[in-house]
Amino acid sequence: MSAQSDLQGFEPKIVGFLCNWCSYAGADKAGGMQTPYPPNVQVIRVMCSGRVDPQFVLSAYEKGADGVIILACHPGDCHYKEGNCRALQRHAMLILVLDQLGVEKERCRLDYVSAGEGEKFNRVIGEVVEAVRSLGPLQLSRENIA
Amino acid sequence: MKIGIYFCNCGSNIADKISSAAVAEAAGSFPEQTYFKTVDFICSEDGRLQFEESLKTELPDRVIVAACSPRDHEATFRRCLANAGLNPYLLQMVNIREQIAWVTEDPEVATAKAIRAIRGALYRVRLQQPLEKKELEVCPDALVIGAGPSGMKAAMALAEAGRSVVLVERTPMIGGLPVRFEELFPDLECAPCMLEPLMGELLHGDHAGKIELMTMSEVIEVTGFYGNFIARIRQLPRHVSLHECIGCGECAAACPAVTMNGFNNGASERKAIDFAFTGVLPNAPFLMEDVCVRSRGEECRACKDACPMGEDVVDLEQVEQIVERRIGAIILATGTGLYDASRVTGMGFGTFPDVYDALQFERLLSSTGPTAGEFLTRAGNVPSSLAIIHCVGSLDNDHKPYCSGICCQYAFKFNHLISARHPDTAITHYHRELVLPGKTAHTLFRHADRNANTSLKRYSSIDDLAVTLADDGRLQVSANGEDNVADMVVLCPAVIPAEGTGRLSALLDVGCDSSGFFRELHGRMDAAQSAIKGIYLAGSCQEPMDIQKAILQGMATAGYTLAGLQPGRTLEIEPINAEVDETRCAGCRLCISVCPYRAISFDSGHNASSVNAVLCHGCGTCVAACPAGAITGHHFTNDQIMAEIEGVLK
Repeated sequence: MSAQSDLQGFEPKIVGFLCNWCSYAGADKAGGMQTPYPPNVQVIRVMCSGRVDPQFVLSAYEKGADGVIILACHPGDCHYKEGNCRALQRHAMLILVLDQLGVEKERCRLDYVSAGEGEKFNRVIGEVVEAVRSLGPLQLSRENIA
Repeated sequence: MKIGIYFCNCGSNIADKISSAAVAEAAGSFPEQTYFKTVDFICSEDGRLQFEESLKTELPDRVIVAACSPRDHEATFRRCLANAGLNPYLLQMVNIREQIAWVTEDPEVATAKAIRAIRGALYRVRLQQPLEKKELEVCPDALVIGAGPSGMKAAMALAEAGRSVVLVERTPMIGGLPVRFEELFPDLECAPCMLEPLMGELLHGDHAGKIELMTMSEVIEVTGFYGNFIARIRQLPRHVSLHECIGCGECAAACPAVTMNGFNNGASERKAIDFAFTGVLPNAPFLMEDVCVRSRGEECRACKDACPMGEDVVDLEQVEQIVERRIGAIILATGTGLYDASRVTGMGFGTFPDVYDALQFERLLSSTGPTAGEFLTRAGNVPSSLAIIHCVGSLDNDHKPYCSGICCQYAFKFNHLISARHPDTAITHYHRELVLPGKTAHTLFRHADRNANTSLKRYSSIDDLAVTLADDGRLQVSANGEDNVADMVVLCPAVIPAEGTGRLSALLDVGCDSSGFFRELHGRMDAAQSAIKGIYLAGSCQEPMDIQKAILQGMATAGYTLAGLQPGRTLEIEPINAEVDETRCAGCRLCISVCPYRAISFDSGHNASSVNAVLCHGCGTCVAACPAGAITGHHFTNDQIMAEIEGVLK
């Protein structure tokens, strides 16, 4: 962990995988509300959170991300019935793998945002950015992951 | 590769926060030959024309539109590409309005974020492939399973639209459960009177020729998929020709073999060859082989000889047949049954003869029922007191956790029918909740509530209730420490899926939920569709419901079929779907277990999984699950997503 002084001016890079039907729509809803949130999350749209291959997350770290967030439909609301359950299972497994690689679980968050939850999207983005900011840059030998 | 980047200012919505000049400059350093155009409102009519003209002039290999959310206008801009002669899937949108301009305070920061997002799109779009919608010939006809109100309504609507319908009914009759009832809630309309016009149309109307009715039949196998199903149907021998029988009943009169009539809850007798009940449709008897004396090796042809219509109507040699039909859609309309009230302890059901469940009581009140409609105890007396127990097995975690929805309404119908005929009979309702939704359900309740001889007693748990025999031999209902005599008890058991629902569920891969009813695609948006494309749910096989809702849902299933399958028109298959590379598939079948739509099957000949593009919804869950990387999620390939990750992080 870097010394606190090194964190001055640190802007984490975060990749957000958003499912098309709930979370991406929730992000659009947050946009419609026009309440600013930190700009650190670059969104990648997938049709379903069940499409998020753990490789994508590892690849994001490898290519310079300090954190990843996967946003899914709420349990029971998945447009594809249960793709979000698969995302949840994979995320649980991924956290274990990341722990062995020394990557804190706060750098890989899974949460649920519905199409109506613009405020929640805004809040979750704020939280994940702050969490990763306080952890500092990901100090990982990138080759470990690749 | 030439990539066109179109930047929409969206008036000031985007332009205020994101500098198109800065984005254009950054695009100059992108690792592809790009051109950059700014449009004020690219979604407007002028904007779209300008966009299309530009595409026709520039002829780019790939296109990026940085504008609003793709959820707004991706389809619009894909059409523009198609209009300009480009493959529509060569487009990638970047959402710089909702997800950047509107939510980022500092214009410089917003611009930098937009550049990263556009770079991601550029990396991705380079790998996008032209995709084509495939077309498939389909059969526009339907199989309807179950000839109750919803199944009949669906079949009739389809037939009227010119579709051929195979209507398969397990029993020898049509009309489902309610046709056996004399009066219906909420307005005491006679059920046969209400249903007979529909049944008459179905059997003999102008469009009856489009409906192939198979009674005493069940579906035993279904192969294929939406648009192209093949169903195998087992027809048990009825031994009476539906087409030639005139319904005179001479055969029944001549028949020497007698049994209890199951359609009258065993409360009256029937002959081996007989009608299900008087007035049943189709108006033709059926022969119960196991009751017929011929089953015991005796020679008898009394029924055949008695038939005034000749030798061909009664066919004593008829055997079971298996037939095959090709259809494009399947409508499940298998209906409901009642929970076995003897499983609820303390209700006396099956022990005391004067304890009835609701269906038995309906038959008792019916003029074609065991007492010809007289309200009498088994001893032959008019009851001076009647207890009606609601929620028997419903709203009860030990039995069925759900509310059955219709019981309160028919319970107050019973109340009205009995108090009208026998005003002196005291009626007590024992209820846990009262459920009377909608604009009409309250009327029968009000009648009961205003009736001085009717009382309502609420209980909290069925365990607090007991039906016993009092010292004088009359029934006694004990509730909340209070004992009340009753000459007759009517139970309102939970409404459950019809017998055979589980078998059909397994046969068709249509799931059931924890209640045992068929699981719908979506509880509000798609309650009449199953998760399997082309298999629809009509009526109370989806959940307990009244006739009104069942009829509407029957029409909904006809609507889905008519909209989705049109004669002479092929079915368009969305190209954003999954595809297995057989040479890389290891045959682990993990994909099959994660597919929510049963779209993947295992081809043992090739030892590989195979995705049916018609059934695939393109979620990509199998793509992420495949340990061999053998599945491609078209338009969301691993390479495309990885490239986008790289691009946004560069």
